[in-house]
Amino acid sequence: MLIWILYDIEKDRQRTRVAKMCKQAGLYRVQFSCFLGTLNKNELDTLNLQIGELIDEEKDKVYIFPMSKNELQQCKLLGQAFDKNLVTDEIRAFFL
Amino acid sequence: MQLHINTYGTYVHVKDAMFEIRRKLDNGNLEKRHFAASKVRQIVMTTGMALSTDAVKLAMEHNVDLLFIEQHGKPIGRVWHSKLGSTTKIRKAQLQASLNERGLTWVKGWLIQKMENQRNFIQDLKKHRATMADYLDDKITKIENLTNSVQLQEGQSTAEVSDTLRGLEGTAGRLFFETLSQVLPKESQFKGRSNRPAKDPFNAFLNYAYGMLYGKIEKVLIVAGLDPFVGFMHRDDYNQLSMVYDFIEPYRICADEVVFRLFSGKKVNKSHTTEITGGSSLNTEGKALLVNAFNKFMDDNAVRYKGRNLVRSHIIQLDAHRFANSLIEKEQDANLDFI
Repeated sequence: MLIWILYDIEKDRQRTRVAKMCKQAGLYRVQFSCFLGTLNKNELDTLNLQIGELIDEEKDKVYIFPMSKNELQQCKLLGQAFDKNLVTDEIRAFFL
Repeated sequence: MQLHINTYGTYVHVKDAMFEIRRKLDNGNLEKRHFAASKVRQIVMTTGMALSTDAVKLAMEHNVDLLFIEQHGKPIGRVWHSKLGSTTKIRKAQLQASLNERGLTWVKGWLIQKMENQRNFIQDLKKHRATMADYLDDKITKIENLTNSVQLQEGQSTAEVSDTLRGLEGTAGRLFFETLSQVLPKESQFKGRSNRPAKDPFNAFLNYAYGMLYGKIEKVLIVAGLDPFVGFMHRDDYNQLSMVYDFIEPYRICADEVVFRLFSGKKVNKSHTTEITGGSSLNTEGKALLVNAFNKFMDDNAVRYKGRNLVRSHIIQLDAHRFANSLIEKEQDANLDFI
Protein backbone atom coordinates (compact mmCIF):
# COMPACT_ATOMS: atom_id res chain seq x y z
CA MET A 1 0.00 0.00 0.00
CA LEU A 2 1.00 3.60 -0.47
CA ILE A 3 2.17 5.28 2.71
CA TRP A 4 2.69 8.93 3.52
CA ILE A 5 4.86 9.88 6.46
CA LEU A 6 4.89 13.49 7.62
CA TYR A 7 6.64 14.74 10.71
CA ASP A 8 7.67 17.62 12.91
CA ILE A 9 10.52 16.57 15.14
CA GLU A 10 12.33 19.05 17.36
CA LYS A 11 15.74 17.50 17.87
CA ASP A 12 18.08 17.41 14.87
CA ARG A 13 19.52 14.01 15.73
CA GLN A 14 16.16 12.27 15.99
CA ARG A 15 14.87 14.00 12.88
CA THR A 16 17.81 12.82 10.81
CA ARG A 17 17.41 9.28 12.10
CA VAL A 18 13.71 9.20 11.21
CA ALA A 19 14.49 10.44 7.70
CA LYS A 20 17.10 7.70 7.32
CA MET A 21 14.68 5.02 8.53
CA CYS A 22 12.11 6.12 5.97
CA LYS A 23 14.69 5.91 3.19
CA GLN A 24 15.89 2.50 4.34
CA ALA A 25 12.33 1.24 4.31
CA GLY A 26 12.18 2.21 0.66
CA LEU A 27 10.17 5.44 0.84
CA TYR A 28 10.99 8.44 -1.33
CA ARG A 29 11.58 11.91 0.04
CA VAL A 30 8.98 14.18 -1.51
CA GLN A 31 9.59 17.16 0.79
CA PHE A 32 12.02 17.81 3.64
CA SER A 33 9.75 16.27 6.27
CA CYS A 34 7.56 14.21 4.07
CA PHE A 35 8.04 10.72 2.62
CA LEU A 36 5.93 8.64 0.28
CA GLY A 37 6.24 5.14 -1.11
CA THR A 38 4.89 1.61 -1.30
CA LEU A 39 5.27 -0.65 1.74
CA ASN A 40 3.75 -3.95 2.74
CA LYS A 41 2.08 -4.49 6.09
CA ASN A 42 5.16 -5.90 7.79
CA GLU A 43 7.44 -3.14 6.57
CA LEU A 44 4.91 -0.57 7.76
CA ASP A 45 4.68 -2.17 11.23
CA THR A 46 8.46 -2.24 11.55
CA LEU A 47 8.80 1.38 10.56
CA ASN A 48 5.98 2.36 12.89
CA LEU A 49 7.73 0.74 15.86
CA GLN A 50 11.15 2.12 14.93
CA ILE A 51 9.90 5.69 14.72
CA GLY A 52 7.74 5.30 17.85
CA GLU A 53 10.80 4.32 19.88
CA LEU A 54 12.83 7.26 18.72
CA ILE A 55 10.63 10.31 19.05
CA ASP A 56 9.75 12.43 22.07
CA GLU A 57 6.06 11.75 22.61
CA GLU A 58 5.57 15.02 24.48
CA LYS A 59 6.74 17.26 21.68
CA ASP A 60 7.10 15.54 18.31
CA LYS A 61 4.40 14.85 15.74
CA VAL A 62 4.48 12.04 13.20
CA TYR A 63 1.64 11.18 10.83
CA ILE A 64 1.47 7.91 8.97
CA PHE A 65 -1.29 7.83 6.35
CA PRO A 66 -2.21 5.10 3.94
CA MET A 67 -3.52 6.05 0.55
CA SER A 68 -5.05 4.01 -2.24
CA LYS A 69 -3.66 3.93 -5.75
CA ASN A 70 -6.90 5.40 -7.08
CA GLU A 71 -6.62 8.37 -4.78
CA LEU A 72 -3.05 8.93 -5.88
CA GLN A 73 -4.17 9.02 -9.49
CA GLN A 74 -6.61 11.78 -8.56
CA CYS A 75 -3.88 13.88 -6.94
CA LYS A 76 -3.01 17.14 -8.64
CA LEU A 77 0.70 17.79 -8.74
CA LEU A 78 2.16 21.19 -9.65
CA GLY A 79 5.71 22.35 -10.14
CA GLN A 80 8.63 20.15 -9.11
CA ALA A 81 6.46 17.37 -7.72
CA PHE A 82 7.28 13.70 -7.21
CA ASP A 83 6.97 11.02 -9.86
CA LYS A 84 3.77 8.99 -9.48
CA ASN A 85 5.29 5.97 -11.21
CA LEU A 86 8.30 6.02 -8.92
CA VAL A 87 6.38 5.98 -5.64
CA THR A 88 4.05 3.21 -6.80
CA ASP A 89 7.06 1.04 -7.76
CA GLU A 90 5.98 1.00 -11.37
CA ILE A 91 9.43 1.97 -12.58
CA ARG A 92 11.02 -1.43 -13.00
CA ALA A 93 14.47 -0.57 -14.26
CA PHE A 94 16.98 2.18 -13.61
CA PHE A 95 19.90 2.86 -15.91
CA LEU A 96 22.93 4.33 -14.22
CA MET B 1 13.31 -2.82 -9.33
CA GLN B 2 16.31 -3.70 -11.42
CA LEU B 3 19.38 -1.48 -11.46
CA HIS B 4 21.24 -1.60 -14.75
CA ILE B 5 24.67 -0.13 -14.27
CA ASN B 6 26.29 0.75 -17.56
CA THR B 7 28.36 3.87 -17.01
CA TYR B 8 32.11 3.25 -16.96
CA GLY B 9 33.68 3.85 -13.57
CA THR B 10 30.51 3.58 -11.49
CA TYR B 11 31.01 2.45 -7.91
CA VAL B 12 28.40 0.40 -6.06
CA HIS B 13 28.77 0.25 -2.30
CA VAL B 14 26.79 0.47 0.93
CA LYS B 15 25.83 3.59 2.83
CA ASP B 16 23.39 3.46 5.78
CA ALA B 17 22.29 -0.07 4.87
CA MET B 18 21.28 1.09 1.40
CA PHE B 19 22.98 0.65 -1.95
CA GLU B 20 24.82 3.82 -2.90
CA ILE B 21 25.64 4.19 -6.54
CA ARG B 22 28.30 6.75 -7.25
CA ARG B 23 29.27 7.90 -10.68
CA LYS B 24 30.89 10.86 -12.35
CA LEU B 25 28.61 12.88 -14.58
CA ASP B 26 29.72 14.33 -17.89
CA ASN B 27 30.16 17.76 -16.31
CA GLY B 28 32.61 16.33 -13.76
CA ASN B 29 30.23 16.40 -10.80
CA LEU B 30 29.81 13.36 -8.62
CA GLU B 31 26.31 11.89 -8.53
CA LYS B 32 25.21 9.71 -5.62
CA ARG B 33 21.95 7.82 -5.60
CA HIS B 34 20.58 5.65 -2.84
CA PHE B 35 18.36 2.64 -3.20
CA ALA B 36 16.76 0.77 -0.31
CA ALA B 37 17.83 -2.87 -0.33
CA SER B 38 14.26 -4.07 0.09
CA LYS B 39 13.24 -2.37 -3.16
CA VAL B 40 16.04 -3.73 -5.32
CA ARG B 41 15.45 -7.14 -6.89
CA GLN B 42 18.44 -7.35 -9.18
CA ILE B 43 21.58 -5.40 -9.97
CA VAL B 44 22.91 -5.90 -13.48
CA MET B 45 26.47 -4.70 -14.03
CA THR B 46 28.56 -4.57 -17.16
CA THR B 47 32.35 -4.50 -17.11
CA GLY B 48 34.28 -1.41 -16.04
CA MET B 49 32.55 -0.99 -12.65
CA ALA B 50 33.55 -1.36 -9.02
CA LEU B 51 31.62 -3.20 -6.34
CA SER B 52 32.30 -3.41 -2.62
CA THR B 53 32.13 -6.63 -0.62
CA ASP B 54 29.67 -4.97 1.75
CA ALA B 55 27.39 -4.40 -1.20
CA VAL B 56 27.64 -8.11 -1.99
CA LYS B 57 26.79 -8.91 1.63
CA LEU B 58 23.79 -6.58 1.62
CA ALA B 59 22.62 -8.13 -1.61
CA MET B 60 22.88 -11.65 -0.20
CA GLU B 61 20.95 -10.65 2.92
CA HIS B 62 18.08 -9.28 0.88
CA ASN B 63 18.10 -11.95 -1.82
CA VAL B 64 19.20 -9.41 -4.40
CA ASP B 65 20.52 -11.04 -7.53
CA LEU B 66 23.89 -9.62 -8.65
CA LEU B 67 24.33 -10.32 -12.32
CA PHE B 68 27.44 -9.53 -14.36
CA ILE B 69 27.04 -9.25 -18.10
CA GLU B 70 29.16 -8.50 -21.11
CA GLN B 71 28.54 -5.40 -23.22
CA HIS B 72 26.37 -7.35 -25.66
CA GLY B 73 24.21 -8.78 -22.89
CA LYS B 74 25.59 -12.27 -22.36
CA PRO B 75 25.73 -13.14 -18.65
CA ILE B 76 29.25 -13.77 -17.32
CA GLY B 77 28.25 -14.82 -13.85
CA ARG B 78 26.18 -14.03 -10.85
CA VAL B 79 26.47 -13.77 -7.10
CA TRP B 80 23.78 -15.76 -5.37
CA HIS B 81 23.86 -17.38 -1.94
CA SER B 82 25.41 -20.80 -2.31
CA LYS B 83 22.50 -22.74 -0.85
CA LEU B 84 20.55 -25.02 -3.16
CA GLY B 85 17.13 -23.64 -3.94
CA SER B 86 15.51 -26.80 -2.67
CA THR B 87 16.22 -30.43 -1.81
CA THR B 88 19.19 -32.39 -3.20
CA LYS B 89 16.70 -35.07 -4.22
CA ILE B 90 15.79 -32.90 -7.19
CA ARG B 91 19.37 -32.76 -8.41
CA LYS B 92 19.80 -36.53 -8.15
CA ALA B 93 16.59 -37.05 -10.07
CA GLN B 94 17.72 -34.53 -12.66
CA LEU B 95 20.99 -36.44 -13.18
CA GLN B 96 19.10 -39.71 -13.58
CA ALA B 97 16.63 -38.19 -16.03
CA SER B 98 19.52 -36.84 -18.11
CA LEU B 99 20.53 -40.44 -18.84
CA ASN B 100 17.18 -42.09 -19.49
CA GLU B 101 14.04 -41.71 -21.55
CA ARG B 102 12.39 -39.30 -19.11
CA GLY B 103 14.92 -36.69 -20.11
CA LEU B 104 14.03 -37.27 -23.74
CA THR B 105 10.32 -36.79 -23.01
CA TRP B 106 11.05 -33.40 -21.50
CA VAL B 107 13.44 -32.34 -24.26
CA LYS B 108 10.88 -33.27 -26.90
CA GLY B 109 8.22 -31.35 -24.96
CA TRP B 110 10.37 -28.21 -24.83
CA LEU B 111 11.32 -28.36 -28.50
CA ILE B 112 7.76 -28.99 -29.65
CA GLN B 113 6.55 -26.11 -27.53
CA LYS B 114 9.23 -23.85 -28.99
CA MET B 115 8.28 -24.77 -32.54
CA GLU B 116 4.58 -24.40 -31.82
CA ASN B 117 5.26 -20.94 -30.44
CA GLN B 118 7.10 -20.07 -33.65
CA ARG B 119 4.23 -21.44 -35.71
CA ASN B 120 1.63 -19.51 -33.70
CA PHE B 121 3.64 -16.35 -34.04
CA ILE B 122 3.65 -16.68 -37.82
CA GLN B 123 -0.07 -17.44 -37.67
CA ASP B 124 -0.50 -14.16 -35.78
CA LEU B 125 1.50 -12.28 -38.39
CA LYS B 126 -0.98 -13.48 -41.02
CA LYS B 127 -3.83 -11.51 -39.47
CA HIS B 128 -2.65 -8.16 -40.77
CA ARG B 129 -0.72 -9.32 -43.81
CA ALA B 130 -3.29 -10.70 -46.23
CA THR B 131 -0.98 -10.23 -49.21
CA MET B 132 1.63 -12.54 -47.71
CA ALA B 133 -0.81 -15.25 -46.64
CA ASP B 134 0.49 -17.84 -49.12
CA TYR B 135 4.11 -17.30 -48.16
CA LEU B 136 3.27 -17.52 -44.44
CA ASP B 137 1.05 -20.59 -44.89
CA ASP B 138 3.91 -22.37 -46.61
CA LYS B 139 6.21 -21.66 -43.62
CA ILE B 140 3.53 -22.76 -41.17
CA THR B 141 3.18 -26.12 -42.92
CA LYS B 142 6.95 -26.63 -43.01
CA ILE B 143 7.33 -25.89 -39.29
CA GLU B 144 4.38 -28.19 -38.50
CA ASN B 145 6.08 -31.00 -40.39
CA LEU B 146 9.27 -30.47 -38.42
CA THR B 147 7.27 -30.53 -35.18
CA ASN B 148 5.80 -33.89 -36.18
CA SER B 149 9.27 -35.27 -36.90
CA VAL B 150 10.40 -34.24 -33.41
CA GLN B 151 7.35 -35.99 -31.97
CA LEU B 152 8.31 -39.22 -33.76
CA GLN B 153 11.83 -39.45 -32.32
CA GLU B 154 12.18 -42.35 -29.92
CA GLY B 155 15.11 -43.63 -27.89
CA GLN B 156 16.37 -44.91 -24.57
CA SER B 157 18.08 -41.60 -23.88
CA THR B 158 18.37 -38.13 -25.33
CA ALA B 159 21.92 -38.78 -26.52
CA GLU B 160 20.70 -41.33 -29.10
CA VAL B 161 18.64 -38.79 -31.01
CA SER B 162 20.12 -35.48 -29.96
CA ASP B 163 21.83 -34.86 -33.31
CA THR B 164 18.58 -35.35 -35.20
CA LEU B 165 16.72 -33.14 -32.74
CA ARG B 166 19.31 -30.40 -33.08
CA GLY B 167 18.97 -30.58 -36.86
CA LEU B 168 15.18 -30.33 -36.82
CA GLU B 169 15.28 -27.50 -34.31
CA GLY B 170 17.86 -25.63 -36.36
CA THR B 171 15.83 -25.93 -39.55
CA ALA B 172 12.71 -24.63 -37.81
CA GLY B 173 14.73 -21.72 -36.43
CA ARG B 174 16.08 -20.82 -39.86
CA LEU B 175 12.58 -20.88 -41.38
CA PHE B 176 11.24 -18.79 -38.53
CA PHE B 177 13.86 -16.02 -38.75
CA GLU B 178 13.68 -16.01 -42.54
CA THR B 179 9.95 -15.32 -42.19
CA LEU B 180 10.45 -12.58 -39.61
CA SER B 181 12.95 -10.82 -41.84
CA GLN B 182 10.65 -11.10 -44.85
CA VAL B 183 7.80 -9.45 -42.94
CA LEU B 184 9.85 -6.53 -41.60
CA PRO B 185 10.19 -3.19 -43.37
CA LYS B 186 12.96 -3.22 -46.02
CA GLU B 187 15.49 -1.28 -43.94
CA SER B 188 15.30 -3.72 -40.98
CA GLN B 189 15.59 -6.96 -42.92
CA PHE B 190 18.43 -9.29 -42.05
CA LYS B 191 20.17 -12.41 -43.26
CA GLY B 192 19.78 -15.11 -40.64
CA ARG B 193 21.06 -15.20 -37.08
CA SER B 194 24.49 -13.85 -36.27
CA ASN B 195 26.39 -13.64 -33.05
CA ARG B 196 29.68 -12.05 -31.92
CA PRO B 197 29.34 -9.69 -33.61
CA ALA B 198 25.74 -9.36 -34.65
CA LYS B 199 25.83 -8.44 -38.33
CA ASP B 200 22.79 -6.16 -38.16
CA PRO B 201 20.74 -4.22 -35.58
CA PHE B 202 18.01 -6.90 -35.44
CA ASN B 203 20.50 -9.55 -34.37
CA ALA B 204 22.15 -7.14 -31.94
CA PHE B 205 18.78 -6.59 -30.25
CA LEU B 206 17.95 -10.29 -30.31
CA ASN B 207 21.31 -11.31 -28.81
CA TYR B 208 20.89 -8.84 -25.96
CA ALA B 209 17.31 -10.00 -25.36
CA TYR B 210 18.40 -13.65 -25.25
CA GLY B 211 21.15 -12.61 -22.86
CA MET B 212 18.54 -11.19 -20.49
CA LEU B 213 16.46 -14.32 -20.89
CA TYR B 214 19.44 -16.60 -20.09
CA GLY B 215 19.94 -14.68 -16.86
CA LYS B 216 16.28 -15.07 -15.96
CA ILE B 217 16.16 -18.78 -16.78
CA GLU B 218 19.30 -19.54 -14.81
CA LYS B 219 17.73 -17.84 -11.82
CA VAL B 220 14.39 -19.68 -12.00
CA LEU B 221 16.25 -23.01 -12.26
CA ILE B 222 18.36 -22.25 -9.20
CA VAL B 223 15.31 -21.10 -7.26
CA ALA B 224 13.47 -24.31 -8.18
CA GLY B 225 16.40 -26.38 -6.88
CA LEU B 226 17.60 -27.55 -10.30
CA ASP B 227 21.21 -27.64 -11.44
CA PRO B 228 21.70 -25.24 -14.38
CA PHE B 229 24.76 -27.23 -15.51
CA VAL B 230 23.10 -30.64 -15.94
CA GLY B 231 21.45 -30.55 -19.34
CA PHE B 232 19.44 -33.18 -21.15
CA MET B 233 20.20 -32.30 -24.73
CA HIS B 234 23.00 -29.80 -24.70
CA ARG B 235 26.49 -31.19 -24.37
CA ASP B 236 28.07 -31.40 -20.95
CA ASP B 237 31.01 -29.22 -21.84
CA TYR B 238 33.13 -27.48 -19.25
CA ASN B 239 31.09 -24.74 -17.64
CA GLN B 240 28.24 -25.00 -20.11
CA LEU B 241 24.93 -23.96 -18.63
CA SER B 242 23.36 -26.92 -20.38
CA MET B 243 20.04 -27.01 -18.54
CA VAL B 244 19.60 -23.30 -19.13
CA TYR B 245 19.94 -23.89 -22.88
CA ASP B 246 17.47 -26.79 -22.72
CA PHE B 247 14.92 -25.07 -20.55
CA ILE B 248 15.02 -21.72 -22.35
CA GLU B 249 13.62 -23.05 -25.64
CA PRO B 250 9.89 -22.55 -25.06
CA TYR B 251 10.48 -19.02 -23.79
CA ARG B 252 12.74 -17.74 -26.56
CA ILE B 253 9.57 -16.57 -28.26
CA CYS B 254 9.27 -13.86 -25.58
CA ALA B 255 12.55 -12.30 -26.69
CA ASP B 256 11.70 -12.84 -30.37
CA GLU B 257 8.34 -11.14 -29.97
CA VAL B 258 9.63 -8.13 -28.03
CA VAL B 259 12.41 -7.48 -30.56
CA PHE B 260 10.17 -8.08 -33.55
CA ARG B 261 7.54 -5.65 -32.23
CA LEU B 262 10.16 -2.97 -31.67
CA PHE B 263 11.34 -3.29 -35.27
CA SER B 264 7.95 -3.76 -36.93
CA GLY B 265 6.61 -0.79 -34.95
CA LYS B 266 9.57 1.25 -36.19
CA LYS B 267 10.63 2.03 -32.62
CA VAL B 268 14.28 1.34 -33.46
CA ASN B 269 16.39 3.83 -35.38
CA LYS B 270 20.04 4.55 -36.07
CA SER B 271 20.59 6.14 -32.64
CA HIS B 272 20.06 2.80 -30.87
CA THR B 273 22.97 0.88 -32.31
CA THR B 274 26.63 1.58 -32.90
CA GLU B 275 28.53 0.18 -35.83
CA ILE B 276 31.46 -1.97 -34.90
CA THR B 277 33.90 -3.94 -37.03
CA GLY B 278 31.88 -6.41 -39.03
CA GLY B 279 28.53 -5.67 -37.41
CA SER B 280 26.47 -3.75 -34.98
CA SER B 281 26.16 -3.40 -31.25
CA LEU B 282 23.55 -1.96 -28.91
CA ASN B 283 24.43 1.33 -27.24
CA THR B 284 23.08 2.74 -23.99
CA GLU B 285 19.95 4.13 -25.62
CA GLY B 286 19.26 0.89 -27.42
CA LYS B 287 19.70 -1.09 -24.21
CA ALA B 288 17.28 1.19 -22.36
CA LEU B 289 14.70 0.78 -25.11
CA LEU B 290 15.02 -2.99 -25.16
CA VAL B 291 15.24 -3.55 -21.40
CA ASN B 292 12.13 -1.46 -20.76
CA ALA B 293 10.15 -3.17 -23.50
CA PHE B 294 11.32 -6.60 -22.31
CA ASN B 295 10.50 -5.92 -18.65
CA LYS B 296 7.08 -4.61 -19.59
CA PHE B 297 6.41 -7.71 -21.65
CA MET B 298 7.60 -10.11 -18.95
CA ASP B 299 6.32 -8.38 -15.82
CA ASP B 300 3.39 -6.13 -16.74
CA ASN B 301 1.23 -7.87 -19.30
CA ALA B 302 -0.59 -10.79 -17.73
CA VAL B 303 -1.55 -13.78 -19.86
CA ARG B 304 -3.89 -16.68 -19.18
CA TYR B 305 -2.16 -19.66 -17.60
CA LYS B 306 -3.99 -22.62 -16.07
CA GLY B 307 -7.07 -20.58 -15.33
CA ARG B 308 -5.23 -17.66 -13.81
CA ASN B 309 -3.96 -14.34 -15.12
CA LEU B 310 -0.22 -14.28 -14.53
CA VAL B 311 2.74 -12.31 -15.80
CA ARG B 312 5.23 -14.25 -17.91
CA SER B 313 8.14 -14.09 -15.43
CA HIS B 314 5.97 -15.76 -12.86
CA ILE B 315 4.81 -18.43 -15.32
CA ILE B 316 8.41 -19.38 -16.11
CA GLN B 317 9.16 -19.77 -12.41
CA LEU B 318 6.06 -21.93 -11.92
CA ASP B 319 7.04 -24.10 -14.89
CA ALA B 320 10.49 -24.61 -13.35
CA HIS B 321 8.92 -25.68 -10.06
CA ARG B 322 6.56 -27.97 -11.90
CA PHE B 323 9.48 -29.53 -13.77
CA ALA B 324 11.42 -30.02 -10.53
CA ASN B 325 8.39 -31.54 -8.79
CA SER B 326 7.76 -33.94 -11.62
CA LEU B 327 11.37 -35.12 -11.40
CA ILE B 328 10.84 -36.16 -7.80
CA GLU B 329 7.41 -37.42 -8.80
CA LYS B 330 5.34 -35.06 -6.74
CA GLU B 331 3.60 -34.28 -9.96
CA GLN B 332 3.18 -36.60 -12.89
CA ASP B 333 4.93 -35.74 -16.13
CA ALA B 334 1.85 -33.73 -16.93
CA ASN B 335 1.16 -32.57 -20.43
CA LEU B 336 3.46 -29.66 -20.90
CA ASP B 337 1.80 -26.40 -21.58
CA PHE B 338 3.86 -23.30 -21.41
CA ILE B 339 3.09 -19.82 -22.62
